[in-house]
Amino acid sequence: MERWHYHALQEAIDSSTLLVQGNRACALGALDAGVRFFAGYPITPSSEIMETMAYELPRVGGVFLQMEDEIASICACIGAALTGTLAMTATSGPGFSLMQEAIGYATMVEAPLVIVNVMRVGPSTGRPTAPSQGDVMQARWGTHGDHPAVVLAASNVADMYRLTMAAVRFAQRFRTPAILLADEVVGHMRESFSTELIGRYRLTSGDFDFTPSYVHPEMVREVHPPHVLGSKTHPHVTGLMHDETGFPTDDPAKSDQFLRQLHDKIGNHRDELCLYDVKNEGKGRVCIVAYGSCARSARAALRLAEQEGLPVEVLHLYTLFPLPVEIIQEVARRVEFMLVPELNLGQYAREIRKMAENWTTVISMGKVDGTLLTPREIVDRVAELIGKYESV
Amino acid sequence: MAQRSFLEVRFGGSGGQGVILMGVILAMAAARDHRYVVQTQSYGPEARGGYSRSDVIISDSQIDYPELQGIDLLVVLSQAAADHYVGLLRATGVFVFDAERVASPPRFRGPSYGVPFVRLAVEETGREQVANVLTLGAVVALTGVVSAQSLRQAVADVVPKGTEEWNERALSRGLALRAEEWLRSNA
Repeated sequence: MERWHYHALQEAIDSSTLLVQGNRACALGALDAGVRFFAGYPITPSSEIMETMAYELPRVGGVFLQMEDEIASICACIGAALTGTLAMTATSGPGFSLMQEAIGYATMVEAPLVIVNVMRVGPSTGRPTAPSQGDVMQARWGTHGDHPAVVLAASNVADMYRLTMAAVRFAQRFRTPAILLADEVVGHMRESFSTELIGRYRLTSGDFDFTPSYVHPEMVREVHPPHVLGSKTHPHVTGLMHDETGFPTDDPAKSDQFLRQLHDKIGNHRDELCLYDVKNEGKGRVCIVAYGSCARSARAALRLAEQEGLPVEVLHLYTLFPLPVEIIQEVARRVEFMLVPELNLGQYAREIRKMAENWTTVISMGKVDGTLLTPREIVDRVAELIGKYESV
Repeated sequence: MAQRSFLEVRFGGSGGQGVILMGVILAMAAARDHRYVVQTQSYGPEARGGYSRSDVIISDSQIDYPELQGIDLLVVLSQAAADHYVGLLRATGVFVFDAERVASPPRFRGPSYGVPFVRLAVEETGREQVANVLTLGAVVALTGVVSAQSLRQAVADVVPKGTEEWNERALSRGLALRAEEWLRSNA
């Protein structure tokens, strides 16, 4: 474990400048955060994550496994997590569907692991090489039962690095699976990325402790003590509802308490889990709420809107779940419209509407043709909303 | 062109010509020039045939929208790519094409350069595979989009072992081209 602080990105082209592909940045972020186990099955547009892990993990004493399918992949990761190793897998829509049952199991047995879904157009095999955000609600509710979820969304190459690190940290701290969503454009693009940024994002050793069964002191009252395989005890791990001994229980009181605790350990820490960024804060009549590659379109739309005299602000969400209720409601109180551009038919707009409809009008702007929303399309919609055709 | 604070570049050709790699190398060179860069590409041209593209955005500030909204510099090695992409070229843009592979260049009013890149590569090294590196050298000589030094380093970073010498010769040949010699039109 002493080699966790690996600094994979210092493989640099030279010491000052880098050009890194999004999927590669994700793998390097995982390595830098201490991930030492990867099991996966290749699928476009996520395969480069696996490819990088296959090459890099053995060099740092980690384990890489190519499994026969995605079900086996995530189950191998859960097994590794139960021995105290930080584990990750990466896939796209069809593989993510296969993983759903095991995500519920990981949640139930409180196995920390990171699942990366580089989204492509679905349903089914869809369009493997076209970007989409169609798996947002699957990431939240894809597995059955009343479960919590931690879901992050990456919008650029730097995000792929730092949000992978954040996902590892959240998974380990809250002992739960954490999902990172990206899309084909973010995964496949190459982008300049300075070593200065890496220095800013890199976590310090104080953020992590990889001792099996470790629980952060702040979390001991909220996280159940882990049962570690290979620790010379006799742990029992089950997806059945269980008590703190790890053995199944049908006791209604214990059952109720256990499920509520699973939720509370996430829900009570929204301030830590909900990452976001507001541009042009407090100056907009319309707020564009966006995540993933749409947030890049939204930021470009903001520049265009400024040139055209349209009062716009942008709320860029890095965390989709747990729902960032506080910031959504804070912004909703001050704007006339919330415009939600997405590469799906309004999945997250529905979530925002539930949180914001008491104060503002939430407008969904969905696109599913496998291309990005352009800044022009967004600004035109903004102009339409505030009835300012004359200034466009 | 290096003076422009925001520049959108597209390389186009058919699968196998090394078009994707041209974009990657240019992006690496621009990053070495300490500029913000985003590189995107069409996916899987070798499987599909037809034309493929590799796009690079070079900017002095952070790049938000990652795809091209117009083209400032278009470099094409096939007729299909030329026909398909020339419409996106801005009036202030520059058009560079292979003078033999693009037998009937589409009309463009701004500066156009027609160079027989593939033939020059074969003459210089006996190998068609290095035409992409020769083209990159020529593009930098004709437009100054990145520094020649950064381009040399970027090429050295990516070329496979055993091909360094051919690539070096192709790159030098490209960098030695003189703009006035190859200018086709400049309305």
